[in-house]
Amino acid sequence: MEKLNLLWIQGLTCGGNTQSLLCAEETLLNTFLKKVNLLVHPGLSLDEDLEKTVEAVLKGDVRLDILAVEGAVRERGKGLYTVLDMRFDEVLRKLCGVANYVIAVGNCAAYGNIPALKEGSVKGLQFRFTERGGFLGDGFRSKSGLPVINLTGCPVHPEWFISTVLQIASGRPPKLDSLGRPKEFYTYFTHDGCLRNQYYEWRVEAEVLGRKEGCLFYRFGCRGPMTRSSCNRILWNGVSSKTRSGQPCFGCTEFDFPRENIWETKYNMGIPAELPPGVSLRGYIMMSGVAKTFTPDRLRRRLLDEDD
Amino acid sequence: MRMTRDLLTRLEGEVELKVFWSDGRIKDAYVVVPTYRGFENILKGRPILDALVITPRVCGICGHAHLRATVEAIEDAYRRAGRRVGITRKAEILRDVTTSLEIVQNHIRWFYLYFMPELVKLKPELKERFGPFTGSRWKEGIEASNYATKAIALIAGQWPHNSYMVPGGVTCDPMEADIRKVEALVNRVISFFEEKVVGMDWRSYLKLRGSNLLSKVIGDLGTFAEVCLENGLDIAGRSYGRFLTGGSIHPCISSGVKSKRTCEFNLSKVSELDTHSFLSRNGKGYSWSKTARYRGLPFETGPLARQIISKNPRITSLYRKFKDSVLVRVWARVDEILILSLAILEKLRRVDLSEESWVDPGVDPKKFSGKGVGVVEAARGTLIHKVRVERGRIAYYDIITPTVWNLGPRDDRYLGVVEKAMIGLTSRKIAHIVLRSFDVCSVCTSH
Repeated sequence: MEKLNLLWIQGLTCGGNTQSLLCAEETLLNTFLKKVNLLVHPGLSLDEDLEKTVEAVLKGDVRLDILAVEGAVRERGKGLYTVLDMRFDEVLRKLCGVANYVIAVGNCAAYGNIPALKEGSVKGLQFRFTERGGFLGDGFRSKSGLPVINLTGCPVHPEWFISTVLQIASGRPPKLDSLGRPKEFYTYFTHDGCLRNQYYEWRVEAEVLGRKEGCLFYRFGCRGPMTRSSCNRILWNGVSSKTRSGQPCFGCTEFDFPRENIWETKYNMGIPAELPPGVSLRGYIMMSGVAKTFTPDRLRRRLLDEDD
Repeated sequence: MRMTRDLLTRLEGEVELKVFWSDGRIKDAYVVVPTYRGFENILKGRPILDALVITPRVCGICGHAHLRATVEAIEDAYRRAGRRVGITRKAEILRDVTTSLEIVQNHIRWFYLYFMPELVKLKPELKERFGPFTGSRWKEGIEASNYATKAIALIAGQWPHNSYMVPGGVTCDPMEADIRKVEALVNRVISFFEEKVVGMDWRSYLKLRGSNLLSKVIGDLGTFAEVCLENGLDIAGRSYGRFLTGGSIHPCISSGVKSKRTCEFNLSKVSELDTHSFLSRNGKGYSWSKTARYRGLPFETGPLARQIISKNPRITSLYRKFKDSVLVRVWARVDEILILSLAILEKLRRVDLSEESWVDPGVDPKKFSGKGVGVVEAARGTLIHKVRVERGRIAYYDIITPTVWNLGPRDDRYLGVVEKAMIGLTSRKIAHIVLRSFDVCSVCTSH
């Protein structure tokens, strides 16, 4: 099968998705490099390749199968580099017009994220936070007929990206959810696979940071139960995740990242102000009453001190 | 006068190099950082602890250093307000270990992905080893860098972009098995250094000085040195020869400032200007970066500065002969891969996991007012975060990244550090290599 041509371009970004990509497990990264013809990646290719490749693609000399965009876009403004003497946003619009698939790699490209917080003209490709439209407009479809494939996360997990590309390469493009995210990676919640699940279920909250024990949802603002990600299913760097190292989930795969008061759970009359999707207030109150009454004693002790 | 303008990529972000030539030599050079996000403004008004999640996103390759600078700035503010912030030895060690690992990871990726491919342009037969995507070392370099990133993740959950350091300590509570795995990974970095980077065991490498380093070191660092000597990179790259290191990482990096002699680093002598930044809107601006000065003068920061100030015998012996050329600047960076790795192992031997990871500083962040500063060593040099908090919200945040020191624009009297290093060069290729020898990160520079 002919290799897919992929062009990676960077807007307003920290480059974290590129660094994350380089952290991919060896087999996966090698497969990616074998199956995909990486036309240019500004973080990895020789300098002169960027303008050369963009020119060839825009002329129609080279087919563009996948355009991977890392970073948010500033419309018509200063503060972004130029390619072939065109503003970045002009080049990007043209590239999106000729690409078979467009992938937003990471939350900046998908939703605007941190660079968009205080600047209305900074946008994600088809969204600006919760607002649909973004840089390309709600109606945008790439040549394949799909909207922008949003691989969200700050950064995105390398496996989510590579697997999505490999799915496209094998002729089975991913099914997307209503936010343009491949369902396979964004159906689970961060909560699924979290080692603190029992503490959540039995309502044992972490009262301090820095311990293996206790659920971080009740006090420290953990967004795990309401954040769609596979962070605890496909581990980070192959070994861990935020919640496994005692950090609350910050909800970085969602369009409202970063929320205010990240480290704190908000309460209304003793009940968390936001409950996990589908959980009713009444259900929550009843369940937590039962859970608190019957909490197994061992969940109140330190794990390594436990003998039975 | 002829002018050339190049967009440089294959670094963190992108920079434009605008150069004026006269009689085949560079007469003047402008380092332009074209992209800007505005983190300091974004942070304004946010609850103070949100900074722990936001500032790492300044940079994809040194975000961990930004996290540490934020944590230390907040802790400093708490202390200045009279609070006792007790960090356990365990938390201190873990912070040091992951901070060092990030530097190790950076140096490996920088050398193999960002820097060596440029030398292929001078010596095409190196392509098989160092060419992007296809070179054997390109792949092995990524693999080796990931021993370090995986080791960070074992402690800090993930890399890039975690927030496991918090005022009062760290969030993680690792087990002995995790620590042993980190050790094993760091040992693999050291083996990689021995086998591929210097071609000898590390003890022998550490004993070498001066010309022996050039004649005995083989491996990729040896190849690099050869290309340097063949192309005048043992001379090219010299700037002001003034060095600054604000932070420290025991025992490899001590803080200090060196011009004619070495003095203590004094934060109050650091100033930041925006006379030639777009931010000033005075018409003179040509970059989104500000300019950092120490006692009003430009200083170089980074591995070369650190290792000269810390009296690393290998780097000082090379410096005596080759000054702040590309050869020595790059060597200092590569040397840190080994010495930081050895220091990490030493620290891990001392860590006592039964200590607490976090001690509640007992501050209500919502009511807190005060100001503080964090000064840390990031991969590219000294990173300074300053914060002022009013009733729990950030009233002012200032970030001076290492690359502001090195890549920031000129002021009314002095060229920027990199700009100065460009003057007199005779080729575009060499100019690019000199610029790259500073380990360019434009996303940090303008932030």
